[in-house]
Amino acid sequence: MRGHLAILAALAWARVGLGQGPNDMSAPAARASAAQTDVNTGVIGSRIRSASAGDTIRVPAGVYREHLRIDKPLTLIGEPGAVLDGGGRGDIVEVAAPDVTLSGFVIRNTGIDLDHENAGVRVMAPRARIENNTLDDTLFGIDLRDASDSVVRGNRVGGKDLDVARRGDGIRLWRSDRTLVEGNTIHDGRDAVLWYSKGITVRGNTAERCRYGFHLMYSDEVTLEDNEVVENSVGIYLMYSTGIEVRRNRMIRNRGPSGYGLGLKETDRFVVENNLFVGNRAGIYLDGSPFSPRIPGVFARNTIAYNDVGAVFLPAVRGNRFTLNNFVDNIEQVAVLGRGSLAGNEFWVGETGNFWTDYQGYDQNRDGVGDFVHESFTLFENLVDRHPKLRLLLFSPAQQAIEFVGRAIPAVRPEPKFIDEVPLVRPVPVDAGRPAQRPDRAGLSLVALAMGGGGLALVFVARPRGMARRRRNNGGAA
Amino acid sequence: MTTLGTIAGVAGEGRRAHQTPGIPSNIATVARREMREAMRSRWFLLYSLAFAALGLSLSFVSAAAAGGMGLAGFGRTTAGLVNLVLLVVPLMGLTAGAGSIAGDRERGMLTYLLSQPVSRTEVLLGKYLGLAGALVACITLGLGACAAIMAWKGDATRPGSLVWLGGLSLALAMGMLSVGMLLSVLARKASVAVGTAVFLWLVLVFATDLALMAGAIAMKLRIEELFSLALLNPLQVFKMWSLHAADASLDVLGPAGLYATEEYGRWLHAIFGGCLAAWIVLPLTAAAVVFARRSPV
Repeated sequence: MRGHLAILAALAWARVGLGQGPNDMSAPAARASAAQTDVNTGVIGSRIRSASAGDTIRVPAGVYREHLRIDKPLTLIGEPGAVLDGGGRGDIVEVAAPDVTLSGFVIRNTGIDLDHENAGVRVMAPRARIENNTLDDTLFGIDLRDASDSVVRGNRVGGKDLDVARRGDGIRLWRSDRTLVEGNTIHDGRDAVLWYSKGITVRGNTAERCRYGFHLMYSDEVTLEDNEVVENSVGIYLMYSTGIEVRRNRMIRNRGPSGYGLGLKETDRFVVENNLFVGNRAGIYLDGSPFSPRIPGVFARNTIAYNDVGAVFLPAVRGNRFTLNNFVDNIEQVAVLGRGSLAGNEFWVGETGNFWTDYQGYDQNRDGVGDFVHESFTLFENLVDRHPKLRLLLFSPAQQAIEFVGRAIPAVRPEPKFIDEVPLVRPVPVDAGRPAQRPDRAGLSLVALAMGGGGLALVFVARPRGMARRRRNNGGAA
Repeated sequence: MTTLGTIAGVAGEGRRAHQTPGIPSNIATVARREMREAMRSRWFLLYSLAFAALGLSLSFVSAAAAGGMGLAGFGRTTAGLVNLVLLVVPLMGLTAGAGSIAGDRERGMLTYLLSQPVSRTEVLLGKYLGLAGALVACITLGLGACAAIMAWKGDATRPGSLVWLGGLSLALAMGMLSVGMLLSVLARKASVAVGTAVFLWLVLVFATDLALMAGAIAMKLRIEELFSLALLNPLQVFKMWSLHAADASLDVLGPAGLYATEEYGRWLHAIFGGCLAAWIVLPLTAAAVVFARRSPV
């Protein structure tokens, strides 16, 4: 058994070595760790040196200013209060052997060298388990390179308090197939990027205040489910990937310069179901997806609400199929950039359409389907699509006046942008969980009291003279 | 005892006014009388009820529409209220101001008032403050009720943005009241003043924005020109300021909004504030000058 592991370790090491070769452009800055000289010099380091493969090392509470290199299959468990502090230099833990488990540590304070991509945990061998660690003040958080079949679970990864361009990625996968990324919280980092990794699962994670919540590049057969992606620049972005399932995720208030809840660029064979897109600049952004229009892009049972634009299509996008989605009060429900057309995308299939809050018709026979076709045209939207600067006049009564004119006078009515022949009149239940939101009831009550009290005080000051006189008389009698 | 105090009907203050007719107390007395008159009038009741009813139904609908999906508060309750304020508050301010001086003049009240030991500026300021008080009561009661509904329904609107909205609505009301007073001083008849006020309301609410859109398209205005022109309309200033205060960004208003945010950043508060302050101070000053020079009756 031990020999077997040793061979694996050797193989892994060899692959890492290959990665450093001049003909390999793929592994970024792989020499970073080689430059580090003071690894395994401390308390934990010496235990690693003296341990043999398969051992478990338990690290008691305490602050360890150490840089570790785990070069044999070990299990490292940090007991509560075990802190690895990088002292603001270099990487902190490097996993250089397969089958390593690292669990329960607080790992903090890496260097800030973007050239060497200083990381809290760098894994360079397969089958690692990185679990329940808290990474704080790290440039890169958990960086997996050629680490297939690994598990990254239950970690909390916090970035450096730097300008976003000088931050590193919270979690990065590089050629790490079949890896499971589950139940992690990534906050204030740059991106969580998943490169060249097949068959990975990203489940139940939270990404907040990062640049890209999750960014897929050239990664096929990926499942993204039950994630909550809040207040990033962009929520989830899929690029050049095939076979992607996006289910039950919540993309909320991603409002950077592009601000997509979910963006798809040249992605194929994707299914987007039961997700919640709320308050993003653009709920869904479609650029060249599906790439081969023979396989339709599927959008079903999503709630797309209160975004500036519900779904944005680049002009040449075709082959998407929207059914049973709720389009709720997006300022613009569906938009095509430039002068493109939505022909080639379907907003109803057979007897199944979508729910639109701007549907004007009714349902007399009570079968749940509106009696009239939903034709999406609004004069103001039409104007704004052609002259984006006119958005400045949004929310003003003039906007409603224009909409009214568009409805009342067919002569000025624009061509419908798209048609849903079987619009639903009630929203579809969507199984995406509920966004964590805390209404500030106390604050609102306080505002209500202050405003109401102020108003009543003024009314009291101006009370009719009869009341004032009566009061004075009563006062005199008493 | 034909002092100002008897008109106001508060004997105590009247006595004081009789002894030393100090300016602040004169203004306060006129203001108090004006506020009382306003609050007893039908227009005040009507506007208050309409404003509160519309605001309440809006808060209810926003909470109900989104509540079923657990999305209350991601909705546009604040934006909806901004829209409501844009429609109702200017109308209240303009017509209340327009009816004041001209109405008193028609009823002969103005002659009576000005025969008291009180200057014209004091009368004008007193009337302004009194009507302002009535408007403040109307708006705060309406928005306060909306806030109560939101608290009850668990709307996730931030209290801060509601406070901003309230304050800015008051500023807008003061500005429009100021313009209304100017109309009232200029017009011979109350009906003319109120008619002009309603016309001006239509112009500010619809015509200028429509003209701005048409102009922007026809003359290919650049976004910075469009933004500067929008600043001329106090309603647009109010709208942009409310959105800016709620979100710290005007990006929802497209390229022109983004331009304003990036170009002016934190100066936006000062810019918007300056514009609204000008709409409050300038028309009122003009009204005072005209009122002081012209034969009032």
